[in-house]
Amino acid sequence: MEISQILADVNIIFKDIMDNDDFEVNESSTAGDEWDSLTNIELVAAIEKHFNIRVTSAEIASWANVGDMLQSIKSKTDK
Amino acid sequence: MIEKGTEYKIPFQVTEEIYDGFIKIFRDKNPLHTDDNFAKEKGFTSKVMQGNILNGFLSYFIGECLPLKNVIIFSQEIKYSLPVYLNDNLELIAVVEDWFQSVKMVVFKFHFLNQHNKKIAKGKISIGII
Repeated sequence: MEISQILADVNIIFKDIMDNDDFEVNESSTAGDEWDSLTNIELVAAIEKHFNIRVTSAEIASWANVGDMLQSIKSKTDK
Repeated sequence: MIEKGTEYKIPFQVTEEIYDGFIKIFRDKNPLHTDDNFAKEKGFTSKVMQGNILNGFLSYFIGECLPLKNVIIFSQEIKYSLPVYLNDNLELIAVVEDWFQSVKMVVFKFHFLNQHNKKIAKGKISIGII
């Protein structure tokens, strides 16, 4: 799956969870400033479900930004 | 400790004490909940219990019936399909629908049955393990 397609899917998930159709992330977006920790939990759960993947807490901790998360999703969906 | 598919069945009764306590604390004295004649005029058998009494039962389930106490409710949705009356005997049936170990979040799908085995409400609860 291409990163651009993953990002498009992730943005649909973000809009739904943030309840904001105007909300968009890009590869340099980061948690904390733009969304809180509870939202982050919901986002990760929704992403795992949508892409039918599982991530670990260590992987999440290693993500510096959305771009890292997209790469992680890509590596799991390409398998 | 948490496994997808695990089912919990918890019995509840809507007792006079619970009904009175709900009204005393939350002051919802709408005639549908307090006046048998009003409720009958609207097509019900007798006064209808406040739907949010069921949310109290859900709170008890999450807080007291799981094998762990370090839990917090993230979100909850409930849809009511049939009325509940005073002294009804209910059964909550909750199943672990999803377990996201990475973020320690559990999603339960639940429904309540009454003593006639009719589904009176259903919904979902997401909790976090803190």
